[in-house]
Amino acid sequence: MGFLDGVFKKKDLEIGSPAKGKCVSIKTVPDPTFSEEILGKGVAVEPSEGKFYAPADGKISTLFATKHAVGVTTAEGAEILIHVGLDTVNLKGEHFTAHVEEGAAVKKGALLLEADLEAIAAAGYKTITPILICNTGDFKEVVPGEERMVSPGDSVLSIKL
Amino acid sequence: MKTIEYVITDPVGVHARPAGLLVKKAASYKSNIMLKNMETGKSADAKRIMSVMSLGVKQGNKIELSIEGEDEDAASSGLEDFLKENL
Repeated sequence: MGFLDGVFKKKDLEIGSPAKGKCVSIKTVPDPTFSEEILGKGVAVEPSEGKFYAPADGKISTLFATKHAVGVTTAEGAEILIHVGLDTVNLKGEHFTAHVEEGAAVKKGALLLEADLEAIAAAGYKTITPILICNTGDFKEVVPGEERMVSPGDSVLSIKL
Repeated sequence: MKTIEYVITDPVGVHARPAGLLVKKAASYKSNIMLKNMETGKSADAKRIMSVMSLGVKQGNKIELSIEGEDEDAASSGLEDFLKENL
């Protein structure tokens, strides 16, 4: 351990909650695509409000035509996917409103999507929202936050660069 | 180099779950594998989830996989089977 370690040690990248709600383990998501981390390591939020904000500064790398999922790539190269609800692709965009376009630069906290959570639940879909790092393998470690109530922007994932 | 052309029959297209499975399958081979959406002309590294999803491949779209490397024969047949079964 040299004295330069502190100088060159990179800071962790903190990923904010996209929504107000409860932060829970990805393992509790009743969909193996997410709970088995096929799309990468992550965490989930049970949203209490249907507004979804940018979890970090970055660029909109993908916005599904069905508006239920959005990808944000940060300057550090982290590819963050926010997938609102489970199997919500089948709603074909109904109950979702996008506030950004693919390719746009966003600041943490910018409104990305709005979802009518009550209507989605009434249609028979779960609104639990996984937040995943698609390129988990590019980083030393992706550490999920502890289970607790969160506001938009509160850290729910730490990426060790 | 091997190429595979395929028309997507899955009603939701190359969405989160199938994209994840496709990337997992592609990543199990050493070859370089590129996925091209023939409708838009955009292509992506088939081993990167966000890139694959950003192609926005929908039902009815034709895709092309280009596979190049030491295990391209195995990759080509494995991926062709995967597409038929899953997409």
